[in-house]
Amino acid sequence: MKKNDFILIAVILIIAITALLGQRFLLGGNPDSPMVVVTIDGVEYGRYPLDEDREERISLEDGSYNVLSISDGEVQMKEASCPDQICVMHRPIHSSNDPIVCLPNRVIVIIENGEDSSIDTITN
Amino acid sequence: MGAGVICALIFSGCSNAPAGVNGSNFVNTENSTSFFAMDTVMDLKIYGSEDLLVEAESKVNNLEDRLSVTNPESEISIINRDKIGRLSKESAEILEGALEVCRDTDGALDVSIYPVLKDWGFTTGEYRIPEETEIEDLLENVDYKKIAVNNAKDGSATVEIPEGMEIDLGSVVKGYTGQMLAEYFKENGVESAIINLGGNVQCLGKKPNGEKWNIAIKSPFLESKSGILGVLKAEDTSVITSGGYERYFEQDGHIYWHIIDPATGSPANKGLASVTIIGDNGLRGDALSTALFVKGFDEAIQYWKDHGDFEAIFVNNVGDVFITEGLEGNFELSSEYVAAKLTIIKK
Repeated sequence: MKKNDFILIAVILIIAITALLGQRFLLGGNPDSPMVVVTIDGVEYGRYPLDEDREERISLEDGSYNVLSISDGEVQMKEASCPDQICVMHRPIHSSNDPIVCLPNRVIVIIENGEDSSIDTITN
Repeated sequence: MGAGVICALIFSGCSNAPAGVNGSNFVNTENSTSFFAMDTVMDLKIYGSEDLLVEAESKVNNLEDRLSVTNPESEISIINRDKIGRLSKESAEILEGALEVCRDTDGALDVSIYPVLKDWGFTTGEYRIPEETEIEDLLENVDYKKIAVNNAKDGSATVEIPEGMEIDLGSVVKGYTGQMLAEYFKENGVESAIINLGGNVQCLGKKPNGEKWNIAIKSPFLESKSGILGVLKAEDTSVITSGGYERYFEQDGHIYWHIIDPATGSPANKGLASVTIIGDNGLRGDALSTALFVKGFDEAIQYWKDHGDFEAIFVNNVGDVFITEGLEGNFELSSEYVAAKLTIIKK
């Protein structure tokens, strides 16, 4: 190989590594890192990194709402307008396969790429 | 030249092309769907054609239309309103399956408990503690033995219930549905599927890689960090758990949950925190998980010993775990509960 080949390889490697690092740290997180995904009646409403603390108010058209809180790598339903409050009583989750469900509002909160991926499903 | 090769390696390494080619092997494609029905969330994952999932959803909706107590036009609602009505063949089979468990557990399961459940607010979420006299009055009309079923030749049935009684098949319908869907998928060539109907699990075959399914059993304890009591390895079976933790409310320091003892009209409280039934018959598993929770530990064990055509996991109020002997080697406590006392029940 010629000298120019080495220069080309080095440049490509630098670009590749920069792109990877950029994707990981600058552009909203690694695609493989755990994400909180919220759906309303089967339609995706939003997705948020599990490692960034935040509070998200989910407002439905009929005035009902859920308030989601992500904190210390866990997500929980902090508040909800539903009568049964089952979603609010659900323990904070940090792993896959244990969704928080608000049946009256048809809101489901799951974690994608969470730990415990060896589990196929959960009974309750 | 050399750089070209490395470029190709780098860029091919970054691409997200599918790892395997499934085009010629369509039946093994993973397809899943998630939808709301029967007052819960249904998750279906099959290794087979997506069309089967569309048909499965319509089967579930069809069943719900006929059996839902909240749909005023359903077969069940008409019986509850007029005190007499007709059940189509499938509905009649579900009622018969439920009544069998009612009889077999001496009323620990009772499909006519519905008015009491409503009075506590468990059907709407508007919880309240009824007066004792209210419960006594309602209990007078709770008695599955007073349900008269007349079967017709075509499998349908005319059902008559006394004035004041209302029936609900909610305690068995999800178990039935899971099994029905598994059979439907199997008839259509699916060898591997996992169905979760609001926590009622039905698995068909094994995973495509030949391993058993890993089914987590939820911890019944509110303070649990992981939420998982243990993991069961299973194939071709239904796995159904009942526990007070699923739906409850708290008032003046007391917890009131949704599993009502038909003998008292109040939440069943005989020392168990959850009951999981593993067996071939999903309807029966669903019914038994409730009935054995109501019966309490000693009677539940006796029931298993007398019948024995299913397996079970019992968790008592202090966190001791009991599994029936057929599960030995297939059940493991989660790391959070690794110190819990685990006993194997033998006949």
